[in-house]
Amino acid sequence: MPHSHSHSFHSHTDHHDSNHSHSHNTIAPTTRIVCTLIMVVAIVATPDAHWLTWLIYGCGIIVLLGMSQVDLFKLYQRLAVESIFVSVSVLGILFRDGEGIVWQWGFLKITLTGLLVFGSVLCKLGLTLVLMNLLTLTIPIPVLLQNLSILRVPPLLIAILGSMYRYLDLLVEEFTVMRRAAIARNLLAGKRWQRLVIGNMIGSLFIRTYDRGNRIHQSMVSRGYQGALPLPKSPKIPWRDRLAFGFTLSFAIFGQLAFYH
Amino acid sequence: MPQFSILNSAFLAMHIPDGFLSLPVLGVTWIGAIGLIAISLKQVESDYQDRAVPLMGVCAAFIFAAQMINFPIPGGTSGHLLGGTLAGVLLGPWAGSLVVSIVFMVQGFVFQDGGITAMGANIFNMGLIGTFGGYYLFRTVRNLVGQGLRGIVVGTAIASLFSVVTASAIAAIQLAISGTVPLLIGMTAMVGWHVMIGVGEALVTVATVTFIWRSRPDLLYTSSKKMNSELLR
Repeated sequence: MPHSHSHSFHSHTDHHDSNHSHSHNTIAPTTRIVCTLIMVVAIVATPDAHWLTWLIYGCGIIVLLGMSQVDLFKLYQRLAVESIFVSVSVLGILFRDGEGIVWQWGFLKITLTGLLVFGSVLCKLGLTLVLMNLLTLTIPIPVLLQNLSILRVPPLLIAILGSMYRYLDLLVEEFTVMRRAAIARNLLAGKRWQRLVIGNMIGSLFIRTYDRGNRIHQSMVSRGYQGALPLPKSPKIPWRDRLAFGFTLSFAIFGQLAFYH
Repeated sequence: MPQFSILNSAFLAMHIPDGFLSLPVLGVTWIGAIGLIAISLKQVESDYQDRAVPLMGVCAAFIFAAQMINFPIPGGTSGHLLGGTLAGVLLGPWAGSLVVSIVFMVQGFVFQDGGITAMGANIFNMGLIGTFGGYYLFRTVRNLVGQGLRGIVVGTAIASLFSVVTASAIAAIQLAISGTVPLLIGMTAMVGWHVMIGVGEALVTVATVTFIWRSRPDLLYTSSKKMNSELLR
């Protein structure tokens, strides 16, 4: 397994084709992006050890999961890969210094402060991961990138993001082919040579990439490109979206206030 | 052991997830990141004009692809290229940091690799310190050592090592200010690891830049002063 990017890469590219959920489609992507971000910020901004707040948010997310009808197995698969990624850094927090030793073995010890921070980070991490996966599972990625304009992302940046996503698959594939060729010629067997060979591979990939970029530019110009891609105009926000926005905002605030009662 | 290499690269990836940083740290790093992106967008737009979209797009995809391959790093584990200094040396400070920021944005939004709220911090560490700082360190060393291949090799090696280590130290400081990981533990763990990653990063980046210097030296970034004088000639 080269790197788990490739994992998530394939699990990300194969789901766009047919089956995103339709029940969710009544609310515009921009509204969904904004609502998700409100919730993510609310979850992250919650002070340590406010368990009730996260519990309320968690219940809300479960209801949302049910309504969205996403493929739960697909969601689980993605979360599994992503949690391997973050698990090591989370474990580092558990064994930190602090007051009130709960458990000790040699120099390893778990303290009360450590447990508190660990639990809080775990809650924040889990909830935000589920939310973000829900967003990317229900909106096709190109549509998601296009609609980032709602966050005041400049059009040029959106165009570059879109262009990167379009060629990502191609470049990853090209690199995989180069690596397979190097392995077939026994070039990646010795540890000493490995770094030099990989360096050369990356170098030649860059040369190919830069030339490819220029060719893409020429073909764009020949099709009438003049330096700006057309962006869809934002339509009027229907009442349903306003309602969803208002509801999300009040839910986020309610969760924060609930702790103090 | 394949699973092991995933774990290692996860730990070595230096992408801060959501929930690790406090609000003040998030705010400050977001301001830095937005400033960097805004200025570099302006610069790239005037430098590349209508070539900006296709060229920056494929270059960002290139950095993403280059980060996928594992290679052995000192200490017996494996790591992957972070590519900050590489982007700076190949594309210059502005286009380089823009490309690295775009990689972080796609990794955060599309692959949930690195948090949404922590994206500002990740861009701050790798774009501003890793790429922007890395490029200027490269240029300083190159000016001291000489303009030939030797200057490029020495400059690239020093810049990639130091940019990776500095970025990890800044990340450790951010985690400490947020109260997530105490400074001493974070610093020792992060910087210790990243010295070894930095050595691997330096070796691979030097090999890459040398290869491009030998086969297509015209593709290496030259600062605008020199570019203008070349045009005038």
